[in-house]
Amino acid sequence: MLQRYWFGDVDEEGCRAAGTDPAALAERAAALRTGMDSFVPIDWEVARDCGVARTREEYVDLLRSVCTALARKKIAQSYQGRDVELLQMVRMLDELDNVINLLQERAAEWYQVTNPSFSRKYRSLPAKKMLGIIRKGARGGLSDVADEIERLAGTRTRLMREVSARADEVMPNTSALIGGLVAARLLSRAGGLPALARMPGSTIQVLGSERALFSHLRGGTPPPKHGIIFQHRRVHNAPREVRGRVARVLAAKLAIAARLDYYRGEAVPEFLKDAQARIDEVGVAA
Amino acid sequence: MIWLGNVLVSPGEGGVYGERTLDGYRVWDPYRSKLAALYTLGGGVELTPEMRVLYLGAANGTTVSHVADYVETVYAVEFAPRPMQDLLEVARRRRNIVPIMADAGRPEEYAPFMEAVDLVYQDVAQPNQVEIAERNLVFLKPGGHLILMLKTRSVDVRRDPAEVLAEARAGLEKHLDIADVRWLEPYHQDHAAIVCSRR
Repeated sequence: MLQRYWFGDVDEEGCRAAGTDPAALAERAAALRTGMDSFVPIDWEVARDCGVARTREEYVDLLRSVCTALARKKIAQSYQGRDVELLQMVRMLDELDNVINLLQERAAEWYQVTNPSFSRKYRSLPAKKMLGIIRKGARGGLSDVADEIERLAGTRTRLMREVSARADEVMPNTSALIGGLVAARLLSRAGGLPALARMPGSTIQVLGSERALFSHLRGGTPPPKHGIIFQHRRVHNAPREVRGRVARVLAAKLAIAARLDYYRGEAVPEFLKDAQARIDEVGVAA
Repeated sequence: MIWLGNVLVSPGEGGVYGERTLDGYRVWDPYRSKLAALYTLGGGVELTPEMRVLYLGAANGTTVSHVADYVETVYAVEFAPRPMQDLLEVARRRRNIVPIMADAGRPEEYAPFMEAVDLVYQDVAQPNQVEIAERNLVFLKPGGHLILMLKTRSVDVRRDPAEVLAEARAGLEKHLDIADVRWLEPYHQDHAAIVCSRR
């Protein structure tokens, strides 16, 4: 029975070595297909008699370099997709949001101490306006911080545009249905486009509400109606009674859209038209 | 296994993941490594210098590095690219680790590299952990051992961990003799170690 190993082929007749160059061996090994029914594990002494290595150390060393080369190639491949960077971009964006909010709150606290007339009334202002007041009023360290926050906010806005643009490119159908930013967040939660494309609509519907979902599965609490997709206006603007339904239909269409994005990689106008119509219809039909 | 007092250690070059060293030995923390927890609780299979080990679910290579300190060769299988990068770094400094990037559930992917091993250690977060173990038995020598770290929450979070364990046991018993089963409390929650030997 012929056995195809990384160092060569072995059968009753003997052994044919495939050389000792790690790169060439890695390439050959990547193409090997093994049937497990007739597989016999390697006896390293056969490899030695075959002339691959003289000692056990040499054998393991060569095997290690072949496997390492192979692994490096596979790692590079898995990072190749355009979605991999989008994932990092959207995670950075969400992290920036967190950081900016934290800094802003802290700055407001500080400013309130230095300026007694800065009362709760100001605290409820839009963040941007409040920051403007602080920048004008404060001096020294606090004003530096405020400037820095302002700059971060600018970075965030630019990054957000980049994320949207990249999402439109990587996942045109999903982005068309739910907007680039939310599409990118779904992608980030799923862990990549291949993963998202393999998810059922019902999973996409509750992505981002894992806590509520598992507390429901463990028993007792009602199931979540929506996770990240709540951020889409069609869901959060829908009347309360139909919100669950809108979320379900939208998620189902998103599941199809993600598959189109992954397997076809281009916008499909017919699908988008029908899907939009269907989602709109659910929202009104209450 | 090497114990300094009641601290489990392994011999080897330190500084793999910031582990502490004691008298020149690397401390093997039971709170970080499930295998260390198993040994600390008095179970497990003695690791010896002539052993060959197949390690499924190698992750960043922290536990792998300790196993490699004890045995002759470790075949470390990991699927995800991020931890694989760390594992490659660990393997670069330990000459008896063979890093394999493949799916443990598809042994045909790495079979061409495999020799028969004395121990299969499996720690994968997949719902079909028992099935994965069965598929990898082809690499195990008769009389060799399988240590399966059963992550009950990965099988099904909704079910009672004890029930999941009972089911896994029943599945393994078809092919193997079960030598020892224990929970890894207090070191790891809802994780059970199943030690089996091949007939």
